[in-house]
Amino acid sequence: MSTSDLHYLTALEQAELIRTREISPVDLVAASLDRIERYDDTLRAWITVKPELALEEARKAEAEIASGTYRGPLHGLPYGVKDQMHAVGFPTTLGTKVLDEPETVAPEDAVCIARLKEAGAILIGKQNLHEFGKGGTIDFPFGQPRNPWNPDYTASSSSSGSGIAPAAGMCSFAIGQDTGGSVRGPASCNGIVGMRPTHGRISRRGCAMHAYTSDTLGPLARTVPDLAAVLEAICGHDPKDPLSAQRPVPDFSARLGEGVSGMRLAIVREMAWGDSTDPEVRAALQAAVETLERAGARIEEVSLPLAKWAVPLQLLSADADVASYFLKNYLRERYMRFDRGTRTRLAASSLIPASAYNRAMRARVLVRRQVLEAVGRYDALLSPTNVTPPKPIEATQERVDRKDELVTRLIERRICHYPFSLANVPALSVPMGFSRAGLPLALQIAGKPFDEATLLQIGQAYEAAARWSSLHPDLDRTLRLVA
Amino acid sequence: MEISKEQVRVLCEVQGLSVPEDELDDIATRMSTWLTALDQIEVELGEEMNRVDPIPPLFPADDRDL
Repeated sequence: MSTSDLHYLTALEQAELIRTREISPVDLVAASLDRIERYDDTLRAWITVKPELALEEARKAEAEIASGTYRGPLHGLPYGVKDQMHAVGFPTTLGTKVLDEPETVAPEDAVCIARLKEAGAILIGKQNLHEFGKGGTIDFPFGQPRNPWNPDYTASSSSSGSGIAPAAGMCSFAIGQDTGGSVRGPASCNGIVGMRPTHGRISRRGCAMHAYTSDTLGPLARTVPDLAAVLEAICGHDPKDPLSAQRPVPDFSARLGEGVSGMRLAIVREMAWGDSTDPEVRAALQAAVETLERAGARIEEVSLPLAKWAVPLQLLSADADVASYFLKNYLRERYMRFDRGTRTRLAASSLIPASAYNRAMRARVLVRRQVLEAVGRYDALLSPTNVTPPKPIEATQERVDRKDELVTRLIERRICHYPFSLANVPALSVPMGFSRAGLPLALQIAGKPFDEATLLQIGQAYEAAARWSSLHPDLDRTLRLVA
Repeated sequence: MEISKEQVRVLCEVQGLSVPEDELDDIATRMSTWLTALDQIEVELGEEMNRVDPIPPLFPADDRDL
């Protein structure tokens, strides 16, 4: 096999070639670096790439495997992380020009990165993101992230580069961070798989994030089995993270291939058939439901009438938590160095009265209760991941002109994400076809706390039947479209 | 709840934030949006909100709320 053919293999196919020594980790890392060199001037998935460091690690992996020590399916695979996680040797830019260079020096490896290192995976770089992982960035200091299926369109927020890079064959998988959809959105818009696991599954230690009630890391990959393998490597209790769960980590791959026969699934009415759900998305969801029915699942409908409040509640609470950090750090002294979209959002959130915050947290309990009751009644809930196909970049830039439009826009953008973030239950995004314009659509599968294995089982069954994950952007063709 | 540009100017001063004049409207719109939404939530859920504690939606180590 030519090394030029490696980039769109699944991570597990790449792993098998490495295990059997048909290819070397050096071949695979070199192929990734070549893709980045050729296409990232346009796509801007990466902020920092260290080719020499990556190749050195690849040579070590090659020698280790040759000596008979094979660490498992991630050994020798190149990956990237949202530049919100510390990795020794790489600056942590957080996608901002607010920080002075000495402030970007990583003090340690994030626990997640340390675990991937232990599994033998090779960190090749740090990936582009909305400023501080907040969403709403207007001018990206490290370049505008672009969708590999059509670079005039959004790659979503805020783990933008972590969605683009695996979709563009620049790495085997990526790690993003999801507060209100920042893993699922980029997975959906770029046509790959992404999961927000249960809050507490993955240690937050070594990551720069400040919405403690919702922040969680999450993997992005080209297929569900790839994602399961990554998840297994990075989950697990961390006694130094006070919010880390003590639940044992199951074998997330064990039930892949068992199908969905006999499962009870429910479509969330407000997300699937609401007024803001685009007809193309509805049609794709209907087709996905029929695919799951043919595979033996029983599909019902469930209503989450409080879901519409999840967006303002998250912004009244989690955003206020974030703003309280930044008010003491940088916002007062370096206001104008923030992107305008970030600084006005943070400034507004910093003015939320404590009494409003308290009431929002009470309401969050009620919304969460409704979500938990619903996921408790079914094996999983289904919805689109986004209610619209990806939009042109300029149409997604946050404009704060009319209040009514602002509410509509934000609820439309995040109605499918925030209810599950707010409840802190796991949610998986899987490719679900394409819009007429050729942009990816996605199915979201949400479930019970700590029941990621069931979501992966359902996701894999759908993926195997629908086969959308086998389609990849032809960058030599799509990047000719750039404006 | 409508927050005026003048109110935002004062609140920013209280918080020690020096915000350019042309961004005050933006901040006022954002604040008004969220606080208006909270008013609507109070109408729908206010009584129930009085009966619960504002506990962060986390899964503690003992998983007691599952």
